[in-house]
Amino acid sequence: MIGRAPRWAIAIMGLIALVWIIPLFGIVVLSVRPVGETMLGWWRLDSFTLTLSAWQRVWDRYPLADAFWTTAFLAGVSTFLTMLLTPAAAYAFHFLKFRFRRLLLIVIINAFVLPQQVVIIPLFRLWRDMGLMDNFAAVVVPYVGLSFAWSIFLVKNFLEDFPKDLIEAARIDGCGPVATFRHVVLPNMLSPVYAVGILQFLWTWNALLLPMLYLRTHVPLPVVLARVAGTYDLNWDLRAVAALITTAVPLIVFIVFQRQFAAGSQATSGGKE
Amino acid sequence: MSNGVVNGETAPSGPTSTARGGRAIPGAAHEGRLWRLSDTPAAWLLILPVLVFFSISVVYPLAETIRLSFFDIRGLSAPRYVGLGNYIALFADPLFRNTIVTALIFTLGVTAISVSIGWGLAMLSAFAPAQTMPFRMMVFAAFGISETVSAYMWIMILRPDQAGLLNSIIGIFNPGFAHAWLGDQNTALWALIIAASWSAVGLPLLLCFAAVQAIPKSVLEAAYMDGARPTSIMRHIMMPLSLPGVRVAIFINLLNALRAFDIIFVLTGGGPVRSTETIGYFMYRESMTQFKLGYGAAATVVLLIAVLVVSIPAILQRTAGAK
Repeated sequence: MIGRAPRWAIAIMGLIALVWIIPLFGIVVLSVRPVGETMLGWWRLDSFTLTLSAWQRVWDRYPLADAFWTTAFLAGVSTFLTMLLTPAAAYAFHFLKFRFRRLLLIVIINAFVLPQQVVIIPLFRLWRDMGLMDNFAAVVVPYVGLSFAWSIFLVKNFLEDFPKDLIEAARIDGCGPVATFRHVVLPNMLSPVYAVGILQFLWTWNALLLPMLYLRTHVPLPVVLARVAGTYDLNWDLRAVAALITTAVPLIVFIVFQRQFAAGSQATSGGKE
Repeated sequence: MSNGVVNGETAPSGPTSTARGGRAIPGAAHEGRLWRLSDTPAAWLLILPVLVFFSISVVYPLAETIRLSFFDIRGLSAPRYVGLGNYIALFADPLFRNTIVTALIFTLGVTAISVSIGWGLAMLSAFAPAQTMPFRMMVFAAFGISETVSAYMWIMILRPDQAGLLNSIIGIFNPGFAHAWLGDQNTALWALIIAASWSAVGLPLLLCFAAVQAIPKSVLEAAYMDGARPTSIMRHIMMPLSLPGVRVAIFINLLNALRAFDIIFVLTGGGPVRSTETIGYFMYRESMTQFKLGYGAAATVVLLIAVLVVSIPAILQRTAGAK
């Protein structure tokens, strides 16, 4: 910005930001103080002790370790499949000619508006009839299938600026469409593919509704946490730790990869600009 | 399928060369059939896996939800065709009519609050992008927290006893104050709206900040030269020129609020006495806890129509842009 920044703007911004962070700050404080001290609120300073005891006890209390690996597995597999299949399809839609190309493209990229509630009942019946209830495939398939609605749009938008000369040169040198994709286009389109991966990872890690309905034995972290939230458990310290463990990975990924997220999120649901 | 494409007969190791400078493309040397496919079969091969996943998780559910909405299905018993019966029952159900009002208040409330705060913060921080960077991160972080977890944090703030942060702040002025924010029908929906807005501010902030940053420097420079005060620069330059970002933010937040589930499930569970159920929550409740699948499907179709109405401009834009 040109000129001097007005102090009041920075001050107001700072004040609001501090208020904004209070819920997160509160839960962090709750997780490192004995529950006896925070009975009347985490901000009370009648006596003050720091302890990591809740961080040690929580693993026995709630099935967090199992849930953590379940979440990591589900998010990992879904993210991998989306990152693997999206570039090939985006390339085909952008550079190759085939019947129904435009129709299929329009259907796929507009599906991003669909609420996930739409899949609940049909897939519930389908998985039940196929005996896939409580199978990881029951959530991975819709995770991956729903992601194409925005991932293909995002990657295809990127391809609009892809130099056509490069493709023509490859064709002249005798590359077929698949070889052109593998050796010319794919190596040069990795940045939108990573953006897709980050968005998909965050979305699948945080997902609550589908795993809650389709999984029983091994459930991901948000499902465990939602169950804990519904009980009258007075161990606020343990509950705070469970919440922090649930959100730690996506929060770190989110903060580290902010830039890719910003690029991605605009294509996910917005216009082209 | 495309496993073969990506991991199959790859070139000898080493960086993949491009077509520049007359160097041979590694793939061109391959004799494999995959590499010599012509355009059309190659295209179908490349999009086939996507089509399979997409059909199972979008096309089939969409068609099936609409079909089931004309049937009466309870639990495992055989579906019975009832025509528009479910829809007639829905709109005669005072619970569902209340749900529509709730969804309207929730959606508009969250969108209005989150977009106006996000827009305002974007302009404040545009005055000093570098100095306010950590502040932007703090607000943005709320957006990166799992919705389940942010609902959880708000449970702790809105606790009915005096250990709830909100009660205890009010207690400074009014000792002994304790209100069950989430347990009172008059306040539960508003508590929910505030909690949802807290996490929803991140995206409008991001989009509006990008829009303000995109204003040409020369425009702002000229305004400073003419001696415009920061407030009038904000009012006459930043606000109008960041409108495209605001429009996108409004659309996304409307869409997300309409489809909301997680935060309602954890924070209020639709209660007290089903007063905070939106359409997206009502369909879950009827189909997955009452096992009235046809009835739930009809409610889903209503939600779908609401979502489509909100999305018309975006759909038109995308369809026109799909080349």
